[in-house]
Amino acid sequence: MQQREEKQLEASIDSLISRVAQLKNSLHNFIFKLENEYDRLTWPSVLDNFALLSGQLNTINKLLKNEKTPSLRNQVIIPLLLSQDRDEELAKLTELRVPVFSHEIVPDHLRTKPDPEVEEQEKHLSAEAARIGLDVAQKQIQALNKICSNLLEKLNNPREDRETESAAARQNKPFFNPADTTALVAAVGFGKGLAKCRPPGPVAPGQPGQGPIMAGGPSLQQVAVSGSSNQQAAIGGPVPPQQPGQPGKMPSNIKTNIKSASASMHPYNR
Amino acid sequence: MEAPPVTVMPVTGGTINMMEYLLQGSVLDQALDSLLHRLRGLCDNIEPESFADYELVYLLKGQQGNPFLLRARRSMMHPTAPWHLRYLGQPEVGDKSRHALVRNCVDVATSHSLPEFLNEMGFRLDHEFVAKGHIFRKGALKVVVSKLFRVLVPGNTENTEPLSLSYLVELSVLAPAGQDNVSEEMRNFAEQLKPLVHLEKIDPKRHM
Repeated sequence: MQQREEKQLEASIDSLISRVAQLKNSLHNFIFKLENEYDRLTWPSVLDNFALLSGQLNTINKLLKNEKTPSLRNQVIIPLLLSQDRDEELAKLTELRVPVFSHEIVPDHLRTKPDPEVEEQEKHLSAEAARIGLDVAQKQIQALNKICSNLLEKLNNPREDRETESAAARQNKPFFNPADTTALVAAVGFGKGLAKCRPPGPVAPGQPGQGPIMAGGPSLQQVAVSGSSNQQAAIGGPVPPQQPGQPGKMPSNIKTNIKSASASMHPYNR
Repeated sequence: MEAPPVTVMPVTGGTINMMEYLLQGSVLDQALDSLLHRLRGLCDNIEPESFADYELVYLLKGQQGNPFLLRARRSMMHPTAPWHLRYLGQPEVGDKSRHALVRNCVDVATSHSLPEFLNEMGFRLDHEFVAKGHIFRKGALKVVVSKLFRVLVPGNTENTEPLSLSYLVELSVLAPAGQDNVSEEMRNFAEQLKPLVHLEKIDPKRHM
Protein backbone atom coordinates (compact mmCIF):
# COMPACT_ATOMS: atom_id res chain seq x y z
CA MET A 1 0.00 0.00 0.00
CA GLN A 2 2.75 2.30 1.08
CA GLN A 3 4.85 1.28 -1.87
CA ARG A 4 2.07 1.91 -4.34
CA GLU A 5 1.57 5.36 -3.00
CA GLU A 6 5.26 6.03 -3.13
CA LYS A 7 5.40 4.85 -6.71
CA GLN A 8 2.45 7.01 -7.64
CA LEU A 9 4.03 9.97 -5.95
CA GLU A 10 7.26 9.48 -7.78
CA ALA A 11 5.57 9.03 -11.13
CA SER A 12 3.40 12.09 -10.72
CA ILE A 13 6.31 14.20 -9.57
CA ASP A 14 8.35 13.10 -12.55
CA SER A 15 5.63 14.00 -15.00
CA LEU A 16 5.11 17.29 -13.18
CA ILE A 17 8.80 18.07 -13.48
CA SER A 18 8.80 17.33 -17.20
CA ARG A 19 5.70 19.47 -17.83
CA VAL A 20 7.13 22.35 -15.86
CA ALA A 21 10.37 22.03 -17.79
CA GLN A 22 8.42 22.27 -21.04
CA LEU A 23 6.63 25.35 -19.77
CA LYS A 24 9.88 26.91 -18.77
CA ASN A 25 11.33 26.27 -22.20
CA SER A 26 8.44 27.81 -24.04
CA LEU A 27 8.51 30.83 -21.72
CA HIS A 28 12.21 31.16 -22.35
CA ASN A 29 11.70 31.08 -26.12
CA PHE A 30 8.91 33.58 -25.95
CA ILE A 31 10.90 36.03 -23.87
CA PHE A 32 13.83 35.67 -26.23
CA LYS A 33 11.57 36.41 -29.18
CA LEU A 34 10.06 39.43 -27.48
CA GLU A 35 13.41 40.85 -26.54
CA ASN A 36 15.31 40.25 -29.75
CA GLU A 37 12.88 39.95 -32.59
CA TYR A 38 10.27 42.41 -31.50
CA ASP A 39 10.31 44.37 -34.74
CA ARG A 40 9.60 41.32 -36.85
CA LEU A 41 6.97 39.92 -34.53
CA THR A 42 3.40 39.73 -35.73
CA TRP A 43 0.36 39.65 -33.54
CA PRO A 44 -0.75 36.16 -34.67
CA SER A 45 2.59 34.65 -33.66
CA VAL A 46 2.39 36.34 -30.26
CA LEU A 47 -1.06 34.89 -29.89
CA ASP A 48 0.34 31.48 -30.82
CA ASN A 49 2.91 31.73 -28.06
CA PHE A 50 0.30 32.68 -25.54
CA ALA A 51 -1.86 29.81 -26.69
CA LEU A 52 1.02 27.42 -26.24
CA LEU A 53 1.65 28.63 -22.70
CA SER A 54 -1.99 28.41 -21.87
CA GLY A 55 -2.16 24.86 -23.19
CA GLN A 56 0.79 23.81 -21.14
CA LEU A 57 -0.63 25.37 -18.00
CA ASN A 58 -3.81 23.48 -18.69
CA THR A 59 -2.05 20.14 -18.89
CA ILE A 60 -0.29 20.84 -15.61
CA ASN A 61 -3.62 21.62 -14.03
CA LYS A 62 -5.12 18.43 -15.39
CA LEU A 63 -2.20 16.47 -14.11
CA LEU A 64 -2.65 17.87 -10.65
CA LYS A 65 -6.34 17.11 -10.72
CA ASN A 66 -5.76 13.59 -11.98
CA GLU A 67 -7.04 10.94 -9.61
CA LYS A 68 -3.83 8.99 -9.97
CA THR A 69 -1.97 11.87 -8.40
CA PRO A 70 -1.77 11.49 -4.66
CA SER A 71 -2.73 14.46 -2.66
CA LEU A 72 0.42 16.53 -2.57
CA ARG A 73 -1.04 18.57 0.22
CA ASN A 74 -0.30 15.77 2.60
CA GLN A 75 3.38 15.71 1.80
CA VAL A 76 5.79 17.82 3.76
CA ILE A 77 9.22 18.91 2.64
CA ILE A 78 11.74 19.41 5.35
CA PRO A 79 15.21 20.68 4.59
CA LEU A 80 17.65 18.35 6.23
CA LEU A 81 20.90 20.16 5.66
CA LEU A 82 21.53 23.81 5.09
CA SER A 83 24.96 25.06 4.28
CA GLN A 84 26.52 28.28 3.13
CA ASP A 85 28.76 26.43 0.73
CA ARG A 86 28.24 26.36 -2.95
CA ASP A 87 26.77 23.09 -4.09
CA GLU A 88 27.83 22.19 -7.61
CA GLU A 89 25.19 19.53 -8.11
CA LEU A 90 22.44 21.91 -7.14
CA ALA A 91 23.89 24.63 -9.30
CA LYS A 92 23.95 22.34 -12.30
CA LEU A 93 20.41 21.11 -11.67
CA THR A 94 18.98 24.58 -11.38
CA GLU A 95 21.01 26.11 -14.22
CA LEU A 96 22.95 28.29 -11.81
CA ARG A 97 19.85 29.91 -10.39
CA VAL A 98 20.29 28.31 -6.94
CA PRO A 99 23.99 27.80 -6.26
CA VAL A 100 23.72 27.63 -2.50
CA PHE A 101 21.13 25.83 -0.45
CA SER A 102 21.12 28.23 2.44
CA HIS A 103 18.84 29.93 4.93
CA GLU A 104 17.91 32.64 2.46
CA ILE A 105 16.48 30.54 -0.28
CA VAL A 106 14.62 28.03 1.88
CA PRO A 107 11.77 30.35 2.95
CA ASP A 108 11.23 31.37 -0.66
CA HIS A 109 11.49 28.04 -2.41
CA LEU A 110 9.86 25.82 0.14
CA ARG A 111 6.98 28.06 1.13
CA THR A 112 3.49 26.62 1.19
CA LYS A 113 1.52 29.66 2.18
CA PRO A 114 0.27 31.86 -0.64
CA ASP A 115 1.14 35.54 -0.84
CA PRO A 116 -0.60 37.76 1.68
CA GLU A 117 -2.70 39.45 -0.99
CA VAL A 118 -3.70 36.15 -2.49
CA GLU A 119 -4.53 34.83 0.95
CA GLU A 120 -6.68 37.90 1.60
CA GLN A 121 -8.55 37.38 -1.64
CA GLU A 122 -9.11 33.71 -1.01
CA LYS A 123 -10.46 34.42 2.43
CA HIS A 124 -12.73 37.06 0.98
CA LEU A 125 -14.01 34.72 -1.70
CA SER A 126 -14.70 31.84 0.63
CA ALA A 127 -16.52 34.16 3.04
CA GLU A 128 -18.62 35.44 0.14
CA ALA A 129 -19.37 31.92 -1.02
CA ALA A 130 -20.44 30.86 2.46
CA ARG A 131 -22.62 33.96 2.78
CA ILE A 132 -24.82 33.63 -0.27
CA GLY A 133 -25.98 30.15 0.47
CA LEU A 134 -26.20 27.03 -1.59
CA ASP A 135 -29.22 27.53 -3.85
CA VAL A 136 -28.30 31.09 -4.83
CA ALA A 137 -24.90 29.76 -5.75
CA GLN A 138 -26.52 27.03 -7.81
CA LYS A 139 -28.65 29.55 -9.68
CA GLN A 140 -25.61 31.64 -10.43
CA ILE A 141 -23.77 28.62 -11.71
CA GLN A 142 -26.64 27.74 -13.99
CA ALA A 143 -26.87 31.27 -15.36
CA LEU A 144 -23.16 31.31 -16.08
CA ASN A 145 -23.37 27.96 -17.83
CA LYS A 146 -26.25 29.11 -19.96
CA ILE A 147 -24.47 32.30 -21.04
CA CYS A 148 -21.33 30.37 -21.89
CA SER A 149 -23.20 27.84 -23.98
CA ASN A 150 -25.08 30.59 -25.83
CA LEU A 151 -21.84 32.31 -26.63
CA LEU A 152 -20.22 29.09 -27.78
CA GLU A 153 -23.16 28.32 -30.01
CA LYS A 154 -23.05 31.78 -31.58
CA LEU A 155 -19.34 31.52 -32.18
CA ASN A 156 -19.49 28.04 -33.62
CA ASN A 157 -22.39 28.40 -35.98
CA PRO A 158 -21.99 31.19 -38.51
CA ARG A 159 -25.44 32.19 -39.53
CA GLU A 160 -26.83 34.52 -42.18
CA ASP A 161 -28.94 36.32 -39.58
CA ARG A 162 -25.77 37.54 -38.02
CA GLU A 163 -25.16 39.61 -41.14
CA THR A 164 -28.45 41.41 -40.68
CA GLU A 165 -27.81 41.88 -36.97
CA SER A 166 -24.42 43.42 -37.56
CA ALA A 167 -25.77 45.45 -40.47
CA ALA A 168 -28.52 46.77 -38.22
CA ALA A 169 -25.93 47.66 -35.60
CA ARG A 170 -23.90 49.49 -38.21
CA GLN A 171 -26.93 51.50 -39.34
CA ASN A 172 -26.68 53.49 -36.17
CA LYS A 173 -23.43 54.96 -37.33
CA PRO A 174 -23.84 55.96 -40.94
CA PHE A 175 -20.71 57.00 -42.69
CA PHE A 176 -22.23 59.06 -45.41
CA ASN A 177 -25.37 60.94 -46.14
CA PRO A 178 -26.83 60.45 -49.62
CA ALA A 179 -28.54 63.82 -49.49
CA ASP A 180 -25.17 65.42 -48.87
CA THR A 181 -23.76 63.51 -51.81
CA THR A 182 -26.33 64.91 -54.20
CA ALA A 183 -25.93 68.40 -52.77
CA LEU A 184 -22.16 68.32 -53.17
CA VAL A 185 -22.27 66.85 -56.64
CA ALA A 186 -24.78 69.47 -57.70
CA ALA A 187 -22.62 72.20 -56.23
CA VAL A 188 -19.53 71.02 -58.05
CA GLY A 189 -21.39 70.22 -61.24
CA PHE A 190 -23.26 73.41 -61.84
CA GLY A 191 -23.05 75.55 -58.75
CA LYS A 192 -26.29 74.64 -57.07
CA GLY A 193 -26.34 76.14 -53.62
CA LEU A 194 -23.52 78.53 -54.36
CA ALA A 195 -24.07 82.22 -54.71
CA LYS A 196 -24.59 83.19 -58.29
CA CYS A 197 -22.28 86.06 -58.95
CA ARG A 198 -23.81 89.07 -60.52
CA PRO A 199 -22.04 91.59 -62.73
CA PRO A 200 -21.12 94.86 -61.04
CA GLY A 201 -24.29 96.49 -59.87
CA PRO A 202 -25.74 97.65 -56.60
CA VAL A 203 -24.16 95.43 -54.02
CA ALA A 204 -26.55 94.21 -51.36
CA PRO A 205 -24.96 93.33 -48.02
CA GLY A 206 -23.95 89.70 -48.01
CA GLN A 207 -25.97 87.27 -45.97
CA PRO A 208 -25.01 83.66 -45.46
CA GLY A 209 -27.54 81.57 -47.30
CA GLN A 210 -29.80 79.86 -44.81
CA GLY A 211 -32.18 77.69 -46.74
CA PRO A 212 -34.14 78.89 -49.69
CA ILE A 213 -34.67 82.57 -49.35
CA MET A 214 -37.14 83.53 -51.98
CA ALA A 215 -36.43 87.13 -52.88
CA GLY A 216 -39.64 89.01 -52.36
CA GLY A 217 -40.58 90.81 -55.49
CA PRO A 218 -37.35 90.60 -57.39
CA SER A 219 -36.71 93.63 -59.40
CA LEU A 220 -36.81 91.86 -62.69
CA GLN A 221 -37.41 93.64 -65.85
CA GLN A 222 -38.38 91.76 -68.85
CA VAL A 223 -37.73 93.69 -71.90
CA ALA A 224 -38.90 92.10 -75.06
CA VAL A 225 -38.62 94.01 -78.20
CA SER A 226 -40.89 92.96 -80.94
CA GLY A 227 -39.38 92.68 -84.31
CA SER A 228 -41.96 94.79 -86.11
CA SER A 229 -41.14 97.95 -84.29
CA ASN A 230 -38.26 98.63 -86.62
CA GLN A 231 -35.88 99.45 -83.92
CA GLN A 232 -32.29 98.63 -83.81
CA ALA A 233 -31.03 95.53 -82.09
CA ALA A 234 -32.71 95.51 -78.75
CA ILE A 235 -30.77 95.00 -75.61
CA GLY A 236 -32.01 92.81 -72.83
CA GLY A 237 -33.17 94.19 -69.52
CA PRO A 238 -30.61 95.01 -66.87
CA VAL A 239 -29.55 92.06 -64.82
CA PRO A 240 -31.30 92.28 -61.45
CA PRO A 241 -29.05 92.41 -58.46
CA GLN A 242 -29.67 89.13 -56.72
CA GLN A 243 -28.70 88.99 -53.11
CA PRO A 244 -25.49 87.06 -52.59
CA GLY A 245 -25.75 83.95 -50.54
CA GLN A 246 -29.10 83.10 -51.96
CA PRO A 247 -29.12 79.55 -53.27
CA GLY A 248 -29.56 79.71 -56.99
CA LYS A 249 -32.89 77.96 -57.02
CA MET A 250 -34.66 80.70 -58.84
CA PRO A 251 -34.52 80.24 -62.54
CA SER A 252 -33.09 83.21 -64.24
CA ASN A 253 -36.01 85.28 -65.38
CA ILE A 254 -33.93 87.52 -67.53
CA LYS A 255 -35.11 87.51 -71.05
CA THR A 256 -32.45 88.90 -73.24
CA ASN A 257 -33.35 89.45 -76.73
CA ILE A 258 -30.27 90.13 -78.68
CA LYS A 259 -31.10 90.17 -82.30
CA SER A 260 -28.36 90.41 -84.79
CA ALA A 261 -28.66 93.32 -87.06
CA SER A 262 -29.99 91.53 -90.06
CA ALA A 263 -31.62 93.08 -93.09
CA SER A 264 -35.07 93.11 -91.58
CA MET A 265 -33.88 95.27 -88.71
CA HIS A 266 -32.44 97.90 -90.91
CA PRO A 267 -33.02 101.27 -89.26
CA TYR A 268 -33.76 102.88 -92.54
CA ASN A 269 -36.85 101.08 -93.44
CA ARG A 270 -36.58 100.23 -97.06
CA MET B 1 -23.61 70.35 -76.60
CA GLU B 2 -22.41 72.64 -79.26
CA ALA B 3 -19.45 74.83 -78.74
CA PRO B 4 -20.15 78.52 -79.23
CA PRO B 5 -19.93 79.71 -82.83
CA VAL B 6 -16.53 81.34 -82.40
CA THR B 7 -14.51 78.15 -82.46
CA VAL B 8 -15.24 74.73 -83.75
CA MET B 9 -13.45 72.34 -81.40
CA PRO B 10 -11.55 73.15 -78.25
CA VAL B 11 -8.10 71.90 -79.11
CA THR B 12 -7.00 70.55 -82.44
CA GLY B 13 -3.80 69.02 -83.62
CA GLY B 14 -1.37 67.12 -81.53
CA THR B 15 -3.54 66.15 -78.60
CA ILE B 16 -5.50 62.99 -77.95
CA ASN B 17 -9.07 63.45 -76.93
CA MET B 18 -8.89 62.71 -73.23
CA MET B 19 -11.88 61.47 -71.35
CA GLU B 20 -12.41 61.73 -67.66
CA TYR B 21 -13.95 58.73 -65.96
CA LEU B 22 -15.61 59.79 -62.76
CA LEU B 23 -17.23 58.24 -59.69
CA GLN B 24 -18.48 60.40 -56.84
CA GLY B 25 -19.61 59.91 -53.29
CA SER B 26 -19.49 61.65 -49.98
CA VAL B 27 -18.45 60.91 -46.44
CA LEU B 28 -19.54 62.58 -43.21
CA ASP B 29 -17.03 64.62 -41.26
CA GLN B 30 -16.86 62.19 -38.40
CA ALA B 31 -15.98 59.32 -40.69
CA LEU B 32 -13.29 61.26 -42.50
CA ASP B 33 -10.40 59.90 -40.47
CA SER B 34 -11.26 56.27 -41.12
CA LEU B 35 -11.59 57.04 -44.80
CA LEU B 36 -8.21 58.76 -44.90
CA HIS B 37 -6.57 55.84 -43.14
CA ARG B 38 -8.11 53.39 -45.52
CA LEU B 39 -7.05 55.43 -48.52
CA ARG B 40 -3.54 55.70 -47.17
CA GLY B 41 -3.42 51.95 -47.02
CA LEU B 42 -4.95 51.33 -50.42
CA CYS B 43 -3.23 54.00 -52.46
CA ASP B 44 0.34 54.51 -53.50
CA ASN B 45 2.74 54.94 -50.68
CA ILE B 46 3.49 58.61 -50.94
CA GLU B 47 2.72 61.24 -48.38
CA PRO B 48 -0.87 62.29 -48.98
CA GLU B 49 -1.07 65.79 -50.32
CA SER B 50 -3.47 68.32 -48.99
CA PHE B 51 -4.68 71.12 -51.16
CA ALA B 52 -6.70 74.29 -50.93
CA ASP B 53 -8.05 75.49 -54.23
CA TYR B 54 -10.18 78.39 -55.29
CA GLU B 55 -12.31 77.59 -58.29
CA LEU B 56 -14.20 80.02 -60.44
CA VAL B 57 -16.68 78.77 -62.96
CA TYR B 58 -17.20 80.91 -66.02
CA LEU B 59 -20.19 80.75 -68.26
CA LEU B 60 -20.66 81.84 -71.82
CA LYS B 61 -24.28 82.09 -72.77
CA GLY B 62 -24.73 81.27 -76.37
CA GLN B 63 -27.82 81.71 -78.45
CA GLN B 64 -28.60 78.06 -78.20
CA GLY B 65 -29.79 76.44 -75.04
CA ASN B 66 -26.75 75.11 -73.24
CA PRO B 67 -24.20 77.60 -71.97
CA PHE B 68 -20.51 76.87 -72.27
CA LEU B 69 -18.75 76.23 -68.99
CA LEU B 70 -15.10 76.70 -68.17
CA ARG B 71 -13.54 76.09 -64.80
CA ALA B 72 -10.59 78.15 -63.62
CA ARG B 73 -8.79 76.94 -60.57
CA ARG B 74 -5.93 78.34 -58.59
CA SER B 75 -4.13 76.96 -55.57
CA MET B 76 -4.38 78.95 -52.38
CA MET B 77 -1.43 77.08 -50.94
CA HIS B 78 0.90 77.92 -53.81
CA PRO B 79 -0.07 81.40 -54.94
CA THR B 80 2.59 81.61 -57.63
CA ALA B 81 1.66 78.36 -59.32
CA PRO B 82 -0.11 78.71 -62.66
CA TRP B 83 -3.85 78.71 -62.93
CA HIS B 84 -5.56 75.63 -64.19
CA LEU B 85 -8.26 75.85 -66.82
CA ARG B 86 -10.50 72.89 -67.42
CA TYR B 87 -13.28 72.12 -69.82
CA LEU B 88 -15.62 69.24 -69.08
CA GLY B 89 -18.01 68.05 -71.71
CA GLN B 90 -21.38 66.49 -71.29
CA PRO B 91 -21.39 62.95 -69.94
CA GLU B 92 -21.27 60.40 -72.68
CA VAL B 93 -24.48 58.54 -72.99
CA GLY B 94 -22.88 55.20 -73.62
CA ASP B 95 -24.20 51.86 -72.58
CA LYS B 96 -25.70 51.81 -69.14
CA SER B 97 -23.41 49.01 -68.08
CA ARG B 98 -20.43 51.28 -67.91
CA HIS B 99 -19.73 51.86 -64.28
CA ALA B 100 -18.33 55.35 -64.38
CA LEU B 101 -19.40 58.70 -65.73
CA VAL B 102 -17.41 59.45 -68.88
CA ARG B 103 -16.97 62.91 -70.25
CA ASN B 104 -14.61 64.78 -72.48
CA CYS B 105 -11.94 66.66 -70.60
CA VAL B 106 -9.45 69.30 -71.66
CA ASP B 107 -6.93 70.67 -69.16
CA VAL B 108 -4.50 73.50 -69.64
CA ALA B 109 -2.32 75.57 -67.38
CA THR B 110 -2.56 79.29 -67.79
CA SER B 111 -1.01 82.46 -66.51
CA HIS B 112 -2.41 84.62 -63.77
CA SER B 113 -4.26 86.88 -66.13
CA LEU B 114 -6.86 84.21 -66.75
CA PRO B 115 -9.89 85.86 -65.07
CA GLU B 116 -9.41 89.11 -66.96
CA PHE B 117 -8.88 87.21 -70.19
CA LEU B 118 -12.06 85.25 -69.75
CA ASN B 119 -13.98 88.39 -68.92
CA GLU B 120 -12.70 90.04 -72.08
CA MET B 121 -13.69 87.00 -74.09
CA GLY B 122 -17.23 87.43 -72.91
CA PHE B 123 -17.40 84.81 -70.19
CA ARG B 124 -19.19 85.78 -67.04
CA LEU B 125 -18.40 84.46 -63.60
CA ASP B 126 -21.21 82.13 -62.69
CA HIS B 127 -20.21 80.84 -59.30
CA GLU B 128 -17.15 80.26 -57.23
CA PHE B 129 -16.18 78.03 -54.35
CA VAL B 130 -13.22 76.93 -52.33
CA ALA B 131 -12.24 73.29 -52.05
CA LYS B 132 -9.90 72.03 -49.38
CA GLY B 133 -8.90 68.46 -48.87
CA HIS B 134 -6.55 65.65 -49.70
CA ILE B 135 -5.54 63.94 -52.86
CA PHE B 136 -4.44 60.33 -53.21
CA ARG B 137 -3.15 58.40 -56.19
CA LYS B 138 -3.12 54.77 -57.13
CA GLY B 139 -1.53 54.27 -60.52
CA ALA B 140 -3.76 56.15 -62.89
CA LEU B 141 -6.57 56.45 -60.35
CA LYS B 142 -6.90 59.70 -58.53
CA VAL B 143 -8.94 60.05 -55.36
CA VAL B 144 -9.82 63.53 -54.18
CA VAL B 145 -11.42 64.03 -50.78
CA SER B 146 -12.47 67.63 -50.48
CA LYS B 147 -14.67 69.89 -48.43
CA LEU B 148 -16.49 72.54 -50.40
CA PHE B 149 -16.83 76.03 -49.01
CA ARG B 150 -19.16 78.71 -50.13
CA VAL B 151 -17.54 82.09 -50.70
CA LEU B 152 -19.59 84.64 -48.82
CA VAL B 153 -18.14 87.79 -50.22
CA PRO B 154 -17.23 87.38 -53.87
CA GLY B 155 -13.50 87.35 -54.37
CA ASN B 156 -12.76 87.03 -50.70
CA THR B 157 -11.40 83.58 -50.02
CA GLU B 158 -10.90 84.18 -46.33
CA ASN B 159 -14.56 84.49 -45.58
CA THR B 160 -15.98 81.08 -46.37
CA GLU B 161 -18.46 78.71 -44.87
CA PRO B 162 -18.74 74.98 -45.45
CA LEU B 163 -21.42 73.89 -47.83
CA SER B 164 -22.41 70.79 -45.90
CA LEU B 165 -21.24 68.49 -43.14
CA SER B 166 -19.70 66.07 -45.56
CA TYR B 167 -16.62 65.71 -47.65
CA LEU B 168 -16.95 65.06 -51.35
CA VAL B 169 -15.04 62.00 -52.54
CA GLU B 170 -14.21 61.76 -56.21
CA LEU B 171 -12.46 58.93 -57.98
CA SER B 172 -11.28 59.88 -61.45
CA VAL B 173 -9.07 58.64 -64.22
CA LEU B 174 -7.92 60.57 -67.27
CA ALA B 175 -7.65 58.21 -70.18
CA PRO B 176 -8.05 58.27 -73.93
CA ALA B 177 -11.46 57.48 -75.20
CA GLY B 178 -12.59 53.92 -75.61
CA GLN B 179 -10.81 52.18 -72.75
CA ASP B 180 -13.50 50.36 -70.92
CA ASN B 181 -11.30 48.37 -68.58
CA VAL B 182 -10.68 51.63 -66.78
CA SER B 183 -14.19 51.64 -65.41
CA GLU B 184 -13.74 48.05 -64.23
CA GLU B 185 -10.67 49.05 -62.26
CA MET B 186 -12.50 52.00 -60.80
CA ARG B 187 -15.38 49.85 -59.75
CA ASN B 188 -13.07 47.37 -58.01
CA PHE B 189 -11.40 50.18 -56.16
CA ALA B 190 -14.73 51.65 -55.19
CA GLU B 191 -15.77 48.28 -53.75
CA GLN B 192 -12.90 48.48 -51.31
CA LEU B 193 -14.11 51.76 -49.94
CA LYS B 194 -17.51 50.45 -48.97
CA PRO B 195 -19.21 50.85 -46.53
CA LEU B 196 -17.47 54.09 -45.68
CA VAL B 197 -18.28 55.69 -49.01
CA HIS B 198 -20.53 54.59 -51.81
CA LEU B 199 -18.91 55.77 -54.99
CA GLU B 200 -21.29 55.77 -57.87
CA LYS B 201 -21.87 57.54 -61.09
CA ILE B 202 -24.12 60.45 -60.46
CA ASP B 203 -25.62 62.14 -63.44
CA PRO B 204 -25.53 65.86 -62.74
CA LYS B 205 -28.42 66.51 -65.09
CA ARG B 206 -30.75 64.56 -62.88
CA HIS B 207 -30.31 67.01 -60.07
CA MET B 208 -30.55 70.14 -62.14
